[in-house]
Amino acid sequence: MQAIEQKPRSLKNVSVNLRGLTILIADPGNFMRRVIYGMLRGFGANRILEAADAADVLSALMQQKIDILILDAKLPPHNGLAVTQAIRRNTDNENRTLPILIMTSDAQQSTVKEARDAGANMVVAKPMSPTTLYDRLVWIAFDRRQFIDCPTYFGPDRRFKIEGYPTGVGRRASDRIEVAAATEPNLEQDDIDSLFQAARAGQSE
Amino acid sequence: MTAKTPPNVRIFSVKTRFQELAQRPGGVPRELAIQQAESQIADIKPEFIGWVDHELQQLTQALRKATDRNVDNAALDEIQFRARQLRDTGTTMGFVLITFIADNLCRVIDTVKNGAPYDGEVVDCHVDALNLARQDAYRSLGPDDVPEMTRGLHRMLERANRSIPGRAG
Repeated sequence: MQAIEQKPRSLKNVSVNLRGLTILIADPGNFMRRVIYGMLRGFGANRILEAADAADVLSALMQQKIDILILDAKLPPHNGLAVTQAIRRNTDNENRTLPILIMTSDAQQSTVKEARDAGANMVVAKPMSPTTLYDRLVWIAFDRRQFIDCPTYFGPDRRFKIEGYPTGVGRRASDRIEVAAATEPNLEQDDIDSLFQAARAGQSE
Repeated sequence: MTAKTPPNVRIFSVKTRFQELAQRPGGVPRELAIQQAESQIADIKPEFIGWVDHELQQLTQALRKATDRNVDNAALDEIQFRARQLRDTGTTMGFVLITFIADNLCRVIDTVKNGAPYDGEVVDCHVDALNLARQDAYRSLGPDDVPEMTRGLHRMLERANRSIPGRAG
């Protein structure tokens, strides 16, 4: 099996080439899909598909090879995490290991953990800027995590050594937004990323 | 330290097609890619307010179905779906206040789903605030720029949180 290249120490000047890749955007909001579509076109993507619900996603996955799925955590009828689990558990589908980027407007720690435990590669908080989305895509492109297949989980390794956040890749100060008080604090994008790479071996939180 | 892998656990490397192709040289340089994406967003900005108006109409229709005495999960889901869409796109389209108000509304609906009584007036207030925030004069404003509105919406949310059974006080 071919080894995956080492992740560069800094991704600040790294670009991704999205041309020819089939990207599936799954979000129930038509305007949200347009926004993401626009961003991806700006990044150079030229094969972008859209899905409004889980049935559309699963149908697209059965019909063709999807290279990356950008998936809303609240995708109807159940949610995007259930879709993620369904994809990871389907041993017959060649898309089983495809990268899944979960978008959530509820970036609370519990949601992020659930996304990680469902088998997502990364979580991005909505609303998102082009910079944030681009950096998540770069992250996934250079992510060298192994996959774990065990009776209770299939997906990217949730346990790996803390490497820190790549220098120069992060949210812009202007991405911050004040929101109302919550029963559980929302996480910053950096926290989400940390959580996703968070744990040392054997440490689940 | 290397831990032994249990027999029923398989650990393997995957290099996806996404990784293979995304790492190819010739991609749009990062700064240019972001600039082009922002340009694409700018192109659809003129349609945003029309879409917001449509969403607010849908929200108002959903509110009519949800009276104080008779509110079901389907009506709450509909209100929350509309609010979530506004929250998710507002800031990206330059309307930070829309995201703030819609986020507050989503949280209020969460409290109702957690057992707090539904208060149509609270939801109406959020819709009024959204109608205000969609105006050009409010485009570049954030919650700090409209402290009275922000405090009022926060208070509503706090009150709703307190009225969840078991969370009083």
